[in-house]
Amino acid sequence: MLLFRSEEHVERSGKPKGAFMTPEQMWRLADIWYHDRDDPAWRRRSADEAEEVFAEIGLNGDFWRLT
Amino acid sequence: MTVLVRVRLAVLERTIASGQVPTAGEIAADLDLPIAMVQEAYAKLGEAHVFVCDPDDPSRLRMASPFSAVPTAFRVSARGGSYYGNCVWDALGIVSLLGGEGSVETSCPDCSKALSLRVTGGKLAESGSVVHFSVPARRWWDDIVFT
Repeated sequence: MLLFRSEEHVERSGKPKGAFMTPEQMWRLADIWYHDRDDPAWRRRSADEAEEVFAEIGLNGDFWRLT
Repeated sequence: MTVLVRVRLAVLERTIASGQVPTAGEIAADLDLPIAMVQEAYAKLGEAHVFVCDPDDPSRLRMASPFSAVPTAFRVSARGGSYYGNCVWDALGIVSLLGGEGSVETSCPDCSKALSLRVTGGKLAESGSVVHFSVPARRWWDDIVFT
Protein backbone atom coordinates (compact mmCIF):
# COMPACT_ATOMS: atom_id res chain seq x y z
CA MET A 1 0.00 0.00 0.00
CA LEU A 2 1.84 3.05 -1.30
CA LEU A 3 1.16 6.76 -1.49
CA PHE A 4 1.56 8.33 -4.95
CA ARG A 5 1.40 11.92 -6.09
CA SER A 6 -1.48 11.10 -8.46
CA GLU A 7 -3.02 8.23 -10.48
CA GLU A 8 -0.83 9.32 -13.41
CA HIS A 9 2.25 8.62 -11.33
CA VAL A 10 0.98 5.09 -10.58
CA GLU A 11 0.67 4.45 -14.34
CA ARG A 12 4.14 5.85 -14.98
CA SER A 13 5.70 3.78 -12.18
CA GLY A 14 4.93 0.55 -14.04
CA LYS A 15 3.57 -1.07 -10.87
CA PRO A 16 0.81 -3.63 -11.44
CA LYS A 17 -2.45 -1.69 -11.38
CA GLY A 18 -4.69 -2.63 -8.49
CA ALA A 19 -7.10 -0.33 -6.68
CA PHE A 20 -7.08 3.28 -5.57
CA MET A 21 -8.42 4.97 -2.50
CA THR A 22 -8.23 8.51 -1.22
CA PRO A 23 -5.95 9.36 1.71
CA GLU A 24 -9.16 10.16 3.62
CA GLN A 25 -10.44 6.60 3.07
CA MET A 26 -7.00 5.27 4.06
CA TRP A 27 -7.07 7.28 7.27
CA ARG A 28 -10.57 6.06 8.14
CA LEU A 29 -9.56 2.46 7.49
CA ALA A 30 -6.33 2.81 9.50
CA ASP A 31 -8.21 4.45 12.36
CA ILE A 32 -10.87 1.74 12.53
CA TRP A 33 -8.23 -0.98 12.13
CA TYR A 34 -5.63 0.15 14.63
CA HIS A 35 -7.06 2.58 17.19
CA ASP A 36 -7.67 -0.19 19.75
CA ARG A 37 -4.69 -2.42 18.98
CA ASP A 38 -3.31 -1.92 22.50
CA ASP A 39 -6.59 -2.95 24.15
CA PRO A 40 -6.18 -6.28 26.00
CA ALA A 41 -9.56 -7.35 24.61
CA TRP A 42 -8.57 -6.68 20.98
CA ARG A 43 -8.90 -9.63 18.61
CA ARG A 44 -8.23 -10.02 14.93
CA ARG A 45 -11.25 -9.42 12.70
CA SER A 46 -12.76 -12.34 10.81
CA ALA A 47 -12.79 -12.09 7.01
CA ASP A 48 -16.50 -11.23 7.11
CA GLU A 49 -15.90 -8.46 9.66
CA ALA A 50 -13.02 -7.05 7.61
CA GLU A 51 -15.22 -6.96 4.50
CA GLU A 52 -17.85 -5.05 6.49
CA VAL A 53 -15.22 -2.44 7.40
CA PHE A 54 -14.12 -2.13 3.75
CA ALA A 55 -17.74 -1.63 2.66
CA GLU A 56 -18.28 0.94 5.42
CA ILE A 57 -15.64 3.19 3.91
CA GLY A 58 -16.78 2.63 0.33
CA LEU A 59 -14.40 -0.15 -0.74
CA ASN A 60 -16.56 -2.54 -2.71
CA GLY A 61 -15.99 -5.08 -5.46
CA ASP A 62 -13.95 -8.21 -5.96
CA PHE A 63 -10.60 -6.53 -5.15
CA TRP A 64 -11.71 -6.09 -1.52
CA ARG A 65 -13.21 -9.57 -1.08
CA LEU A 66 -11.61 -11.86 1.48
CA THR A 67 -14.17 -14.64 1.39
CA MET B 1 -4.48 -12.28 30.95
CA THR B 2 -2.96 -14.99 28.73
CA VAL B 3 0.75 -15.08 27.85
CA LEU B 4 -0.11 -14.20 24.25
CA VAL B 5 -2.00 -11.07 25.29
CA ARG B 6 0.73 -10.07 27.76
CA VAL B 7 3.43 -10.48 25.10
CA ARG B 8 1.39 -8.64 22.45
CA LEU B 9 0.79 -5.68 24.75
CA ALA B 10 4.38 -5.61 26.03
CA VAL B 11 5.72 -5.53 22.46
CA LEU B 12 3.48 -2.60 21.56
CA GLU B 13 4.24 -0.76 24.80
CA ARG B 14 8.01 -1.11 24.38
CA THR B 15 7.86 -0.15 20.71
CA ILE B 16 5.83 2.96 21.48
CA ALA B 17 8.22 3.95 24.26
CA SER B 18 11.48 3.33 22.40
CA GLY B 19 10.67 3.43 18.68
CA GLN B 20 12.29 -0.01 18.37
CA VAL B 21 10.45 -3.32 18.07
CA PRO B 22 11.80 -5.43 20.98
CA THR B 23 13.52 -8.80 20.86
CA ALA B 24 12.11 -11.83 22.67
CA GLY B 25 14.91 -11.40 25.22
CA GLU B 26 13.80 -7.88 26.08
CA ILE B 27 10.17 -8.96 26.47
CA ALA B 28 11.22 -11.99 28.54
CA ALA B 29 13.06 -9.65 30.92
CA ASP B 30 10.14 -7.19 31.06
CA LEU B 31 7.59 -9.90 31.85
CA ASP B 32 9.88 -12.21 33.82
CA LEU B 33 9.22 -15.11 31.45
CA PRO B 34 11.60 -17.68 29.89
CA ILE B 35 12.85 -16.54 26.46
CA ALA B 36 11.58 -19.79 24.91
CA MET B 37 8.06 -18.94 26.06
CA VAL B 38 8.25 -15.50 24.45
CA GLN B 39 9.67 -16.98 21.23
CA GLU B 40 6.75 -19.41 21.21
CA ALA B 41 4.35 -16.48 21.69
CA TYR B 42 6.06 -14.61 18.81
CA ALA B 43 5.57 -17.68 16.59
CA LYS B 44 1.90 -18.01 17.54
CA LEU B 45 1.26 -14.29 16.98
CA GLY B 46 2.92 -14.68 13.59
CA GLU B 47 0.78 -17.69 12.67
CA ALA B 48 -2.31 -15.72 13.70
CA HIS B 49 -1.26 -12.80 11.42
CA VAL B 50 -1.15 -10.43 14.39
CA PHE B 51 2.60 -9.82 13.97
CA VAL B 52 5.09 -10.98 11.32
CA CYS B 53 8.12 -12.99 12.50
CA ASP B 54 11.66 -12.59 11.25
CA PRO B 55 12.10 -15.74 9.09
CA ASP B 56 15.75 -16.07 10.17
CA ASP B 57 15.53 -15.39 13.90
CA PRO B 58 12.84 -16.66 16.32
CA SER B 59 13.79 -13.90 18.77
CA ARG B 60 12.83 -11.12 16.38
CA LEU B 61 9.74 -9.75 14.70
CA ARG B 62 9.75 -8.19 11.24
CA MET B 63 6.49 -6.36 11.92
CA ALA B 64 4.76 -5.59 15.20
CA SER B 65 1.82 -4.26 13.27
CA PRO B 66 1.36 -1.40 12.71
CA PHE B 67 5.08 -0.87 13.47
CA SER B 68 7.96 -2.04 11.29
CA ALA B 69 11.08 -3.43 12.95
CA VAL B 70 13.21 -2.19 10.05
CA PRO B 71 13.41 1.23 8.37
CA THR B 72 10.82 1.75 5.62
CA ALA B 73 9.67 4.53 3.30
CA PHE B 74 6.97 5.48 5.85
CA ARG B 75 8.32 7.59 8.67
CA VAL B 76 5.81 8.47 11.39
CA SER B 77 5.98 11.23 13.99
CA ALA B 78 3.42 11.02 16.77
CA ARG B 79 3.20 11.64 20.51
CA GLY B 80 6.78 12.91 20.57
CA GLY B 81 8.17 9.70 19.08
CA SER B 82 9.46 8.60 15.71
CA TYR B 83 8.51 5.27 14.10
CA TYR B 84 8.43 3.30 10.85
CA GLY B 85 5.16 1.97 9.44
CA ASN B 86 5.05 -1.07 7.16
CA CYS B 87 2.99 0.76 4.54
CA VAL B 88 0.79 3.84 4.34
CA TRP B 89 -2.08 1.96 6.03
CA ASP B 90 0.07 0.95 8.99
CA ALA B 91 1.79 4.34 9.15
CA LEU B 92 -1.59 6.03 9.59
CA GLY B 93 -2.49 3.22 11.99
CA ILE B 94 0.40 4.28 14.21
CA VAL B 95 -0.96 7.83 14.24
CA SER B 96 -4.37 6.45 15.23
CA LEU B 97 -2.99 4.15 17.93
CA LEU B 98 -1.06 7.07 19.40
CA GLY B 99 -4.09 9.32 19.72
CA GLY B 100 -4.92 10.66 16.25
CA GLU B 101 -2.31 13.39 16.17
CA GLY B 102 0.80 13.12 13.99
CA SER B 103 2.25 12.90 10.52
CA VAL B 104 3.50 10.42 7.94
CA GLU B 105 6.42 11.33 5.69
CA THR B 106 7.03 9.32 2.52
CA SER B 107 7.79 9.91 -1.14
CA CYS B 108 6.10 9.15 -4.44
CA PRO B 109 7.45 5.76 -5.70
CA ASP B 110 7.40 7.17 -9.26
CA CYS B 111 8.98 10.63 -9.03
CA SER B 112 10.42 10.61 -5.48
CA LYS B 113 8.64 13.85 -4.58
CA ALA B 114 8.28 14.11 -0.80
CA LEU B 115 4.68 13.51 0.32
CA SER B 116 3.21 13.92 3.75
CA LEU B 117 -0.05 13.18 5.50
CA ARG B 118 -0.92 15.16 8.59
CA VAL B 119 -3.58 14.24 11.16
CA THR B 120 -4.73 16.84 13.66
CA GLY B 121 -7.38 16.16 16.26
CA GLY B 122 -8.35 12.93 14.50
CA LYS B 123 -8.84 14.67 11.13
CA LEU B 124 -6.66 14.17 8.07
CA ALA B 125 -5.59 17.34 6.26
CA GLU B 126 -6.21 17.48 2.51
CA SER B 127 -3.12 16.17 0.69
CA GLY B 128 -4.03 15.75 -3.00
CA SER B 129 -2.18 12.42 -3.19
CA VAL B 130 -3.62 8.98 -3.88
CA VAL B 131 -3.24 5.57 -2.20
CA HIS B 132 -2.64 2.57 -4.43
CA PHE B 133 -3.00 -1.13 -3.55
CA SER B 134 -1.33 -3.51 -6.03
CA VAL B 135 -2.44 -6.75 -4.42
CA PRO B 136 -6.10 -7.83 -4.02
CA ALA B 137 -7.24 -8.30 -0.42
CA ARG B 138 -7.45 -12.10 -0.47
CA ARG B 139 -3.78 -12.31 -1.53
CA TRP B 140 -2.32 -9.86 1.01
CA TRP B 141 -0.93 -12.60 3.23
CA ASP B 142 0.59 -14.62 0.37
CA ASP B 143 3.61 -12.32 0.78
CA ILE B 144 2.86 -9.70 3.40
CA VAL B 145 6.25 -7.99 3.16
CA PHE B 146 5.66 -7.34 -0.57
CA THR B 147 2.02 -6.34 0.04
